[in-house]
Amino acid sequence: MSASLTILAQHLLNGVLIGCAYALIAMGLTMIFGVMNIANFAHGEFYMLGGFVAFYLVSLMGLNYFAALPVAVAAVVALAIILQHAIFRRLREAPMMTTTLVTIGLSIFLEHVALLLWGPQPQSIPTPFPTKPLSFFGVYTTPLYLFCMAVTAALIVVGHVVIRRTRMGKAMRATFQNKEASALVGIRIDRIYAYAFAFGAALAAAAGAVLGGFIPVEPATGGIVTLKAFIVVILGGMGSFVGAIVGGLMLGLAEALGAGYMPTGWKDAIGFFAVILVLLFRPEGLFRRV
Amino acid sequence: MSRRIATLAVLALLCAVPLVVRDDYYLHLFIVSGIFVVAVLGLDLIVGYVGQLSLAHAAFFAMGAYTSALLFVRLQWSMWLGLPAAALGVGFAAFVLGGVILRTRGHRFIIITVVFAELMKLVATNWVDMTRGFMGLPGLALPKLSLPGLGSLDITAKSHFYYVVLLAAIVAFLLCRALVRSSIGRKFVLVRENEPLAESLGISAFRYAMIAFVAGAALAGAAGSLYAHYVGFVSPDLFNFSYVTIMLIMVILGGKGTLVGPALGAVLFTFLPELLREASHWRMITFATILIVATLFMPKGIVYPLVAYLVPRRWRLSDAHAA
Amino acid sequence: MKSLRLVVAVAVSLAAAPFALAQETVRIGVVQPMTGPVAYDGNIYVNTVKMLADDINAKGGVLGRKIELVVEDGACNPAQSVNAAEKLVVRDKVVGLLGAFCSTSTAAVMEVAKKHKVPLITGISTAAQLTEQGNPYFFRAVATTPMLGNAFGPVLPKALKAKRFAFLTLNDDWGRSMQASYPKAIESGGGQIVANEFFQQSDLQFLSQITKVKAANPDAIVLAANTQQAVALSKQIRELGVTAPLVGEGAWSSDSYIKLAGPAAEGVYGLVEYVYTIKSPVNDAFVKEFQAKLKENPSKFAGAAHNAIHIMVDAIRRAGAADPEKIREAMERTDYNGLVGNIKFDAKHQAYGQTVYLSLVKNGVPEVVETAQISKAQP
Repeated sequence: MSASLTILAQHLLNGVLIGCAYALIAMGLTMIFGVMNIANFAHGEFYMLGGFVAFYLVSLMGLNYFAALPVAVAAVVALAIILQHAIFRRLREAPMMTTTLVTIGLSIFLEHVALLLWGPQPQSIPTPFPTKPLSFFGVYTTPLYLFCMAVTAALIVVGHVVIRRTRMGKAMRATFQNKEASALVGIRIDRIYAYAFAFGAALAAAAGAVLGGFIPVEPATGGIVTLKAFIVVILGGMGSFVGAIVGGLMLGLAEALGAGYMPTGWKDAIGFFAVILVLLFRPEGLFRRV
Repeated sequence: MSRRIATLAVLALLCAVPLVVRDDYYLHLFIVSGIFVVAVLGLDLIVGYVGQLSLAHAAFFAMGAYTSALLFVRLQWSMWLGLPAAALGVGFAAFVLGGVILRTRGHRFIIITVVFAELMKLVATNWVDMTRGFMGLPGLALPKLSLPGLGSLDITAKSHFYYVVLLAAIVAFLLCRALVRSSIGRKFVLVRENEPLAESLGISAFRYAMIAFVAGAALAGAAGSLYAHYVGFVSPDLFNFSYVTIMLIMVILGGKGTLVGPALGAVLFTFLPELLREASHWRMITFATILIVATLFMPKGIVYPLVAYLVPRRWRLSDAHAA
Repeated sequence: MKSLRLVVAVAVSLAAAPFALAQETVRIGVVQPMTGPVAYDGNIYVNTVKMLADDINAKGGVLGRKIELVVEDGACNPAQSVNAAEKLVVRDKVVGLLGAFCSTSTAAVMEVAKKHKVPLITGISTAAQLTEQGNPYFFRAVATTPMLGNAFGPVLPKALKAKRFAFLTLNDDWGRSMQASYPKAIESGGGQIVANEFFQQSDLQFLSQITKVKAANPDAIVLAANTQQAVALSKQIRELGVTAPLVGEGAWSSDSYIKLAGPAAEGVYGLVEYVYTIKSPVNDAFVKEFQAKLKENPSKFAGAAHNAIHIMVDAIRRAGAADPEKIREAMERTDYNGLVGNIKFDAKHQAYGQTVYLSLVKNGVPEVVETAQISKAQP
């Protein structure tokens, strides 16, 4: 392959790797938004906690890497369930400013708890994968990167299947569309809320645990992740899963290509400009609510 | 009558601060609080009175700081010129931004304001030729006050600058009070409480939100200018989300939708973090918890209801109340 | 409620402050990031300074009095650093300041130092502009990036056996300064610049930038990054199949970097003011004490702390009084021999004359492979 084609392919692969992560995190966010009508500013903290708990389990408690990942996700899910029960359950009918302020407060709270527990030093999760890169036609990747892509893609598929095929998924979608009617037909709204929040948190935590192997996590990471997730959700349409998936991949690719062929300092601006454009020309996002 | 006495008493107390407080460090905190009073009064207009959660306010503050700083560094404009320029410039930016985003409602609005703030931070960081990026703009000086016929007053001393800030805070307070007491202010509240009703009465929510947004931003810009010249230095750190957080805490816990509430909140939450310097993480954890609890159970905030409870009605400075 | 008790405690001690006796100690203020992104290195600095101050006090202190360090957290945040400095100068009445680590915070604290006429010395902030402002109260005890570039730039092509050099640095004044000043020196040594890329302070993954650098086919990559990003950066560079040697300013010789980066740290060159493998009597003693008391090898931040506190104390001693103005004057006439050789200040209060080092990580140990001396800064 010619050199410039190789480089292009490399950029594309980088974009897919990051895009899958964006998509996974955004799916969780859009689920919480769709079902509970809450803009979860603490979403990035779930990612961050997923990464830190996994780090803690693997390097400080010596747990096997592949076992640590689901355990880390489970821990964050447990936290999410507690939060849902203690706080968000009361906010079902609350105005948007209230719920947003609460999630902002929660985000600060979780970030500083993480600082207290683990300090500000970024940590990457030790993985059992060999570090030597693999190359296909001059395009490089590592076993870890492939693992990340595989896991995030698999989870995206799982998420999609859960929403579309399972009873719980159908109940969630019904609640999206019409809360009162769903309650009338016997869907237990409280349960749905809990599931949605837990599932959303689980997706974010999984992304954090898996990516933490090559992108170090620090308490401040949560804020950046939340911002990216919101950008994807706005692009894709708040409440749309397909939108989150497509939006995430598109953002990842756009950033990789943009950074690849433009001054890299403005890489993050790509997402911002995309949001502004969407807002001007198609405010509800690329896809409608599903 | 008693209201007048109360007002005069408060004013006298405020004027006496530099005479009573000899410690430069505390005076410094008073000055910083005063600057934040101006900024959060502006935030309260949009958050408390119109009811839209704008997270771009800290960005307006920082933009005001940068505007004033750039005018000083490149055109040697003193703060007396820089401050109104910052207020107008930021107000204009808010006008443009508001035109684009104020028709949006809900979560999208909030997120767009965050995106805007982040974009401004990116500009401040990367447009190095203009803003010197992370190196920031140092050497911003406080101006002298030359009154014709009275000679020139040096206000660079802390105790003198305090009066400038006090004046700014009072002017901001009076302006806001006039605004919220006017028919415009009543329409703010109507839009917040019942937008469909307002629209049906021909009151454009967009128009009134815009007024609050621009006025608030102008105040933030003015505060930013004061801050820049006082601290002597601006850098992209001013765009950090932590400023948004602290301003929100000042407004929400102070008591949104009142004016005295956020003003007191500004003072309280400037002093409190400094006094709790040692306990850095616990301090933020505590603030975050209070924010969550207060939002859930105390929508009127903490400071204002407390003050309202303690101060007998006769003595209270009247205020436009929030529901 | 812990925070309430703390408030009461602070209130009481603040009330009691005016009753404190006249200073028997010589108070030196320290503004460092003890929280925030560079807290790890900031805490090392603080612990080093405390350790060394205790040593000096054990030998009798300075001017017959003990040194008292007052430490405040600047968090590498200009506003917070300013608050910290104000407090130290106004309330604690320190006679000198050490700080504030990050160049932007130091720039902000410089204004406080000038306003209150207290000398400030930094051993870490390298942004060239700091000494260009004519602030008579600011002293920099570390070579700037351009000075390091001039010292080592011509040597790099031979030392790294490289012709094509690519830059990949932090997008702040430090990184930009490097990319502006190093190329001429490298070219004078026979090198060629083939790429100039930047990354942001908040970036966690650098795949795009690395791919761009790779496209330029470099023989060596010049970096500027602090520990947190250095680890991810070097790992990801190797993961994307780039085998060219890395040389950088920043964290590349510190133990924390080497430990966290693992195999990616092997063969990495560092351009440093200080590294613990320096062979000298002063350093041997320092390293031994550091290992015993702080349980790790001193990093360049520890070295910076060593320089800063010793130069400050040396100036106090020569001033003959704990008077900030006299200390400032004495500091201008500094002729100090210490950890990294001889240090003097030029007219802009920029240090020169000290030795700087090119380190290479071999088997997890940053060995010194080249030294150079910092010559007086070009006007």
